[in-house]
Amino acid sequence: MQFKDESALIKALIQGSDAAFAQLIRQHQSTMVSLARSIAGDTFADDIVQEAWVSVYSNIAKFEGRSSLKTWLFRIVSNIATTRLRKESRKTSLDQLDGETPGSYLDSANFREDGHWKNPVATWRTESPDELLAEQQLKECIKKTLNRLPETQRTVFLLKEIEQVAFEEICELLNISAANVRVLLHRARLQLMQMISRYQETGSC
Amino acid sequence: MLNCKQVASLASDYLDNNSTTKLNWKIRMHLMMCSHCRRFYRQLKVTNKVARSALSEPSNDNIDELLQRIKESAKK
Repeated sequence: MQFKDESALIKALIQGSDAAFAQLIRQHQSTMVSLARSIAGDTFADDIVQEAWVSVYSNIAKFEGRSSLKTWLFRIVSNIATTRLRKESRKTSLDQLDGETPGSYLDSANFREDGHWKNPVATWRTESPDELLAEQQLKECIKKTLNRLPETQRTVFLLKEIEQVAFEEICELLNISAANVRVLLHRARLQLMQMISRYQETGSC
Repeated sequence: MLNCKQVASLASDYLDNNSTTKLNWKIRMHLMMCSHCRRFYRQLKVTNKVARSALSEPSNDNIDELLQRIKESAKK
């Protein structure tokens, strides 16, 4: 059973429908884990997400709809993770903002002194999204590449592109500046693009 | 005038409509003249689109088990 619109889903959740709750988990669990990891680190992420789900399960009747349901979910995760981080008094794991990845598109080695490309950007066999998506192996490679991204890059990509959360909201959830969100998103996209480019050339990722 | 490195760094902002009008115009001018950057930008757009659909397929791992655990914890 699929609840297509949000109000039907919320209604079913309040009535205690397992199917509705399973759908919610299926849709947002990966982003929630990634978000928790970005804020509080690997060790506590699963705990945090479980605590968030329990809170959602127990408090869904109090959800007032002032934000979308998923924004509410992500805020709960962000709050629990931030509290947990403070309690454990560990340094934030949001340390992935320094430096360019060597070998990435933006590596200075790819540019001449005047800032023009040293070598032309490689042509792809196909630039058609449909043709690319028809390749199961490439889809697996995309998932693999996403999982290998630095935590916060992955979280920003998931929030922006999969969950379609607004930039301002992403800043608040992760407590980082808009400029940083934009840099992280760009890096995530470039890593994926580089993998697709490699895939086009070699047939593997 | 922007160079290729600058355009490559700003490409996501351009894609997301996050650059100022003036910068937007400068990027557009560069793209009109530079086929390498046009290809770069096109590939970035395709990447985003393809990654979005590939990753939008939700997973099914252990949802039921997780749901049971959540319900048990909520009862406590």
